[in-house]
Amino acid sequence: MQNQYNHITPEIVAELQQIVGSKYVIYDDPEKLEPYSHDEVAEKKYAHFPEVVVKPRTAEEIAAIMKLANSERIPVTPRGAGSGLSGGAVPLMGGICLSVERMNQILEVDKENLVVVVEPGIVTNEINNHLKEYGLWFAGYPMSVESCFIGGNVAENAGGGKAIKYGVTERYILGLEMVTPEGEIIHLGGKTVKNVVGYDLVKLMVGSEGTLGIFTKIIIKLLPLPTSKVDLLVMFTDVESAIKIVPTIMTMGHIIPTAVEFMDRLSFQTAYKYLNEHLPNEEAGAMLLIEIDGNSMEQLEKEYEKIGELCLENGAIDVFVADNYTTQERIWSIRRNIAEAFKVYSPVQSLEDIVVPVASIPKILPEIENIAGQYNVLIPCYGHAGDGNLHATIIKKPEMDMAEWEEKLPQILSDLYERTHAYGGTISGEHGIGHKRKAFIGQVLDATTIELMKRIKQAFDPNNILNPGKIFDLK
Amino acid sequence: MRIIVPIKQVPETTNVKMDPVTGTMVREGVEAIINPLDLYAIEAAAQLKEKFGSKIVTISMGPAKAEEALREAIAMGCDEAILLTDKAFAGADTWATSYTLAQAIRRIGEFDLILCGERATDGDTGQVGPGIAAWLDLPFATYVSKIESIQDGEIIVERMVENGYEMLSMPMPCLLTVVKEINYPRLPSLKGKIAAKQKQVAYWGTAEIGAQPNNIGLKGSPTRVVKIATPQVARFGKIVQPKDEHELNRALDELIDMLKQKAIL
Repeated sequence: MQNQYNHITPEIVAELQQIVGSKYVIYDDPEKLEPYSHDEVAEKKYAHFPEVVVKPRTAEEIAAIMKLANSERIPVTPRGAGSGLSGGAVPLMGGICLSVERMNQILEVDKENLVVVVEPGIVTNEINNHLKEYGLWFAGYPMSVESCFIGGNVAENAGGGKAIKYGVTERYILGLEMVTPEGEIIHLGGKTVKNVVGYDLVKLMVGSEGTLGIFTKIIIKLLPLPTSKVDLLVMFTDVESAIKIVPTIMTMGHIIPTAVEFMDRLSFQTAYKYLNEHLPNEEAGAMLLIEIDGNSMEQLEKEYEKIGELCLENGAIDVFVADNYTTQERIWSIRRNIAEAFKVYSPVQSLEDIVVPVASIPKILPEIENIAGQYNVLIPCYGHAGDGNLHATIIKKPEMDMAEWEEKLPQILSDLYERTHAYGGTISGEHGIGHKRKAFIGQVLDATTIELMKRIKQAFDPNNILNPGKIFDLK
Repeated sequence: MRIIVPIKQVPETTNVKMDPVTGTMVREGVEAIINPLDLYAIEAAAQLKEKFGSKIVTISMGPAKAEEALREAIAMGCDEAILLTDKAFAGADTWATSYTLAQAIRRIGEFDLILCGERATDGDTGQVGPGIAAWLDLPFATYVSKIESIQDGEIIVERMVENGYEMLSMPMPCLLTVVKEINYPRLPSLKGKIAAKQKQVAYWGTAEIGAQPNNIGLKGSPTRVVKIATPQVARFGKIVQPKDEHELNRALDELIDMLKQKAIL
């Protein structure tokens, strides 16, 4: 596979320097290339060094790089902040890593149309910080708010904790300016809410994992910023009653929560230990963190009382209310620190993000527990119960040796994905396929579907230059 | 047993910015919360209530907005709340604040124990608790990390001192300021929140507490803030990672020069 590409030569480096300026090319310096060799997937085997890193500033520069890469047959891997969890930004075939880090401006806040136009390399969190003074926000942002770039969010169609009410990234992307794999600058969509001219390529691009084009401008739909939020931390004796309450809140309570986060016993107890948290939990088998938001505290009070009462009537042991910074930080830090807490126990793990129809969660959890027992690993489950997206993290017990882990992991993943599919779910809800999960897509997609996807890829990128080796292998 | 818990509403300071010109905090858009260290006093009171069936009165001096903090304290287990709010109270330093709170506590009447947080995270003085005790002529203990026992009008507490702990026995009524080590504050429950919403918070001003006008607010405050300055960070570090012997030698020379300059060598 790799031999279809050519290596970077000093001549090509010189041309790249010509295009972006020599200051913005990294070559022959392993220490400086290293940060571009991996994303946030912990396992080293998924990392791969680029031969050269280029940091263009404009769409024209990117177009020139792509034309050069096509004529020289050099693979190009676009890169945002590198906070992905599927290997999407890893230059698997070497070649050029194209970092959009310098394209980090907010180009326009269009208050009249509730739209913001940004470049791909801006930290997503900064967009919302900037929009605060306008009373607006981009509601589709994921959990890794402090670091991720909007370009990466769009490429991965990143989700997050608020999907149950606000959906994920794709709901908010109205238009794109992008460079095609062959180096043409094109414009998709625009500021209009409706648009049915031809195929919806904007939707195709969102979640294309950097394989179909490189975004240079992103038009984002905005919503009025909610002024208040309240969080409830609810303890349940068992998983089933915890999950069953989710649809009840919507159908009986007529309330769509902003977030419903689920934590199984193993998850929250590990986080408690890590945080030195001492909330009463002896009887709790599962925990929900329910957030509601809005513009009137009075309304929110009515809503949280209703949700709280529904929970207590349906098997909740305890309901705690957090309506200020101190208590909200305290309960969210339990949820946010689960991953870190397990890293302290054992750093060797595979972070998964399976997704099933919400009602299947109580059915699949015992099966996941069985898999964990069968292979002698830990698989805590936590995540976005509101949308069925579970971070089932497979964790090596410290006493298991690495060779055994390496041998078992693909089998564990295959079993996990097989069970997920059996319950009408799929293998990734928000992290993407990248190269980390490409061996498994056949478990959830028809052969014909995969073939169609490959033809789409070939139509965009006949030389297979852009981010090769991701989602699927072409030949 | 009756317990009084004075609390303060403070700005949430985790993400706070300082105005580089005036040296004061930028308060705009900053959320107001219960002084985090007061939560331990509330929790200590709530635990005593569970044990002895005490009544807890929480009290705060501040603007009307501070009612939020009092309601949160009720949700955590306090029974009554009093807000001392009056234009004349504004600008008080720790002397005037402790006088005002002490006057209000006199008005409340009989009590057995006053529980305060170690200090407020905004002013950071730790003076108001002991100040109240001084105005009321009460025995007090600061930095209390454990309430060992309460029996026959006598309380035994453990307090943190420089080199460890000391045990003190005091007659009641008395005042304690407590440290983080004393407990893990509870989260307000749904039941507590609903109860707090239905409770009446009493508003008291100068007249209600019978305060001397010359002892309250800015006028009653002997402290004068002359200047607020941000301390300069004097420490700095430099890390050199030499790639070869030449660079290593250069780095060593640089280090020796620096130590000589500082008169260490």
